[in-house]
Amino acid sequence: MANAYRMKGLMLASVLMATAALSACGNNNNNEANAAAANSTNAAATTEASTEPTTEAAADTADKSEPLVVYLNDFDDIVKPMFEEKTGYKLEIVSGNGAEIASRIEAEKGNPHWDVVWMDSMPTIDQMSKKGQLLDNWAPSNLDGLTDFAKSLVPANNTYFPTGEHAASVIVYNTKAFDASSAPKTWDDLLDAKFKGVVGMADPAVAAPAYPFVAWFFQSKGMDQGKSYFDGLLKNDVHVYPKNPNVAKALTDGEIKAAALQESNAYTLKNAGEPVDIIWPAEGAPASVRVAAIQKESKHQEAAKAFVEFLLDPATQQALIDKGDESYFEPSAKGVNAKADRAADAKLVVAEAGWAGEHEGEIKQWFADKAVK
Amino acid sequence: MLRFGMQGNRTGWLVLAVLFLLILLPLIAVVIQVLLPGVFFGHFELGNLSLLLDVFRRPLWYVSLKNSVILGIGTTVLATIAGTAIAMARSNWTFPGAKLLDFAVWILIITPSFILAQGWVMFASADGLAAQWLGWHSLHSFIFQPVGLIVVMTLSKFPLAYLTVYSALEWKVDRLSEAARLSGGSSWTVWRTIQAPLLLPAICSGAMLVFMDTVGDFGLPASIATIFRFPTLPYSIYSALYTSPIRFDMAGALSFYLVMLIALAMSVQLYAMRKSRYDFLSSRATRSEPRKPRKGGIYLVIGNLVFLAVVIGIPFGSNLLMSISGSSLGKGRELTFEHYKALFAGNNDMLLEGLTHSLEIAAVAAVIGLFVGFLVAYVLTYSQFKLRKTIDVISLVSLAVPGIVLGIGYIFIWNQAWLEKIGLLLYGTPWILILASVAGVIPVITRVVVGAMAKVPRQLLSAAQMQGASFSQRLVSILMPLIKGAMLYAGLAAFGASVFDLAISSILYPPNFMTLPVVINKAFEDLKFGYAAAATLTGGGLVILIIAVMELLIKPSRKRVKS
Repeated sequence: MANAYRMKGLMLASVLMATAALSACGNNNNNEANAAAANSTNAAATTEASTEPTTEAAADTADKSEPLVVYLNDFDDIVKPMFEEKTGYKLEIVSGNGAEIASRIEAEKGNPHWDVVWMDSMPTIDQMSKKGQLLDNWAPSNLDGLTDFAKSLVPANNTYFPTGEHAASVIVYNTKAFDASSAPKTWDDLLDAKFKGVVGMADPAVAAPAYPFVAWFFQSKGMDQGKSYFDGLLKNDVHVYPKNPNVAKALTDGEIKAAALQESNAYTLKNAGEPVDIIWPAEGAPASVRVAAIQKESKHQEAAKAFVEFLLDPATQQALIDKGDESYFEPSAKGVNAKADRAADAKLVVAEAGWAGEHEGEIKQWFADKAVK
Repeated sequence: MLRFGMQGNRTGWLVLAVLFLLILLPLIAVVIQVLLPGVFFGHFELGNLSLLLDVFRRPLWYVSLKNSVILGIGTTVLATIAGTAIAMARSNWTFPGAKLLDFAVWILIITPSFILAQGWVMFASADGLAAQWLGWHSLHSFIFQPVGLIVVMTLSKFPLAYLTVYSALEWKVDRLSEAARLSGGSSWTVWRTIQAPLLLPAICSGAMLVFMDTVGDFGLPASIATIFRFPTLPYSIYSALYTSPIRFDMAGALSFYLVMLIALAMSVQLYAMRKSRYDFLSSRATRSEPRKPRKGGIYLVIGNLVFLAVVIGIPFGSNLLMSISGSSLGKGRELTFEHYKALFAGNNDMLLEGLTHSLEIAAVAAVIGLFVGFLVAYVLTYSQFKLRKTIDVISLVSLAVPGIVLGIGYIFIWNQAWLEKIGLLLYGTPWILILASVAGVIPVITRVVVGAMAKVPRQLLSAAQMQGASFSQRLVSILMPLIKGAMLYAGLAAFGASVFDLAISSILYPPNFMTLPVVINKAFEDLKFGYAAAATLTGGGLVILIIAVMELLIKPSRKRVKS
């Protein structure tokens, strides 16, 4: 009995130690092998243990039993049944907020578990494209059916495709404090002394959707002008909340009377009967673009392509608008109607993805350091 | 005796290996990102070490470090004083309601700090419950400043100091105090020169637990950030990991400072206890029996109830009120059960599914954690293993390291392609959540079981060994029955604590495997505050129910063994 225990204990201990010791060098070996055999073994080794080793990255064309893994940050409840019904592929979803998903993708970089990423973080996904993490030079059949605005956002190497755009911020005001004439109407109005201390926004260093909002100012005005605009806002005692839901809550609680608030949050408040109204600035509301991209080493490429086709399908986008949780957006496919109560004059502007991705760290750090002073 | 020691050594190495794998390796994997940023993605390049100095250059990092130190020291001092004082009162005197205090302490330990902090925020914010219902408008300005946060933190973390000191007070050597009294010392002098110094190890380790749990706390800075900006190291680590561009190297640098803080605190503890011997318990030790206070018992009762109303009533009461108030202020503050109805309404089975998953994970994690924690405690208590101190430290580290850091470390370690070949690619399966939860519950389990083992003399085990009992026989037939109660306690506490671990499950949950904290967090992000509070309380209520039932089921058999 005692001997048996000791043997087991020793074996377990040695296995554990070996695992620990091998962890660094083993991975390195694996990557060298990968480099030699191009994209063969790594892709095969990604998911379930039951998978037989295949040499071709996309060798499972006929296999519909293995699920496609999609990382996304919205629409998790309705996309799965719709896609499975339409195509017969099985779908597995990891949903989280944009930052959680981006963090997981980055941490999994050595051995990705996802096949498709679909979220409203175009600058981040553009950076992934530049680092060669995405499948390139494949064109979905409905590419020509996209709106001109959407087409202008597709990169030259076709690594990702927009499925819709929404305002990262619109101006929202409390109708008990202001009326249509006294409310702020342009982004520059927020600098006005009469709105001192009553305006709120989400922290670009924390909230994922707040970055596309500020990035447009920095790109269109230039870095220095961008900084002086937000310096001006801070001097006007703008309240900075960690995330958009906090801004929304502060607005309904009366802590602030106007805000730069993400579009669907704004309409959710309005539809819930809160005393708020929404203004689309004439110069445009900076947009957050939801894009879909396929992982370069995905071994479910057929299913992954089918999923992207499915997202660009006007019928799908119409269903997302009619039934989805983040239903206020401008569809990327032609022939789809946006929500009826979404403003007809909604004008979206967008920071160029490459520029926004490159300057993301710098701009966010500026806000983070600014905030503690 | 020699074999006894060797057995301890083998178990010691085993325990060390397991702790290394579960806690230290993931932590190292993150900290090493500073030195070798691409090490887990197959490219070796030297990182930018000047990042380590950025903590003195970047305003956010500098403030975070400073805040962590202030909050850590302030809370440690206050919570240790409070915990020690309450423990001494509890062990000296009996009073009605004393059991409530024990219960409250456990509730506070297993409740995730974000729930407590959220409750305090709802209570004390400018338009919070205190201002609206009680008219305490000045509370807001008191709470949302460093001293106020230290007070809130103290009220949430004092149980760690309380429990350590209270268990040390279970035995006392009256001879020493009596001799002092006979020599003419006043009772204050006796306390100051005899009792307090003898308690020093317990007070120190209680303080250590408080410090670690405080500097590693993410719930409080995150919850109050909506009102008052008080970034701490865990908060800045979170920002580095959860804002694009994702910077593992920055998280590594900040984690390095967190580890430094812990190391510093431990050196202070070692220095305070240098060259002293504390094995004062002898055969003359007697079990402390609390007495009825001669006078003023009523003040104890009242004081206890008021104290409980603050530490339990405020955070949980606020959550409860939030869960039954109308969904919008526009409609006024009417009371409603709509959020509870919404939990199980229609075919929305997300909550139920998340709850089931979380309960399963927590149950398995508690069982495994109990096994590991038992062995850790055994080595710490009975063996002569030379790395015992190291094991002691590692078993506490996961208290101070934020869950997200461990989570990212788990991905680095358990998502390497070669693990697939030996069937150990655990990332992407529920096992990864179980392992991470085990790491999270080890500190609590170990502390509880060590406390219980301290009461079982080594001689009992040696005697059994002389009679030819094997290692496992000794554990099963001698040790286990004697500490069964503590094991049950530890297991249930571990179970309760893992159900709500948001940080770990949000980064590690496998596809199509929602857990309760993820569902709650999603509700918050979708502006459903009432729903989130209702889900928290429903989940919490269910967990307490399960704990109570388990206790009822297992306790009778414990009595049979004793009789």
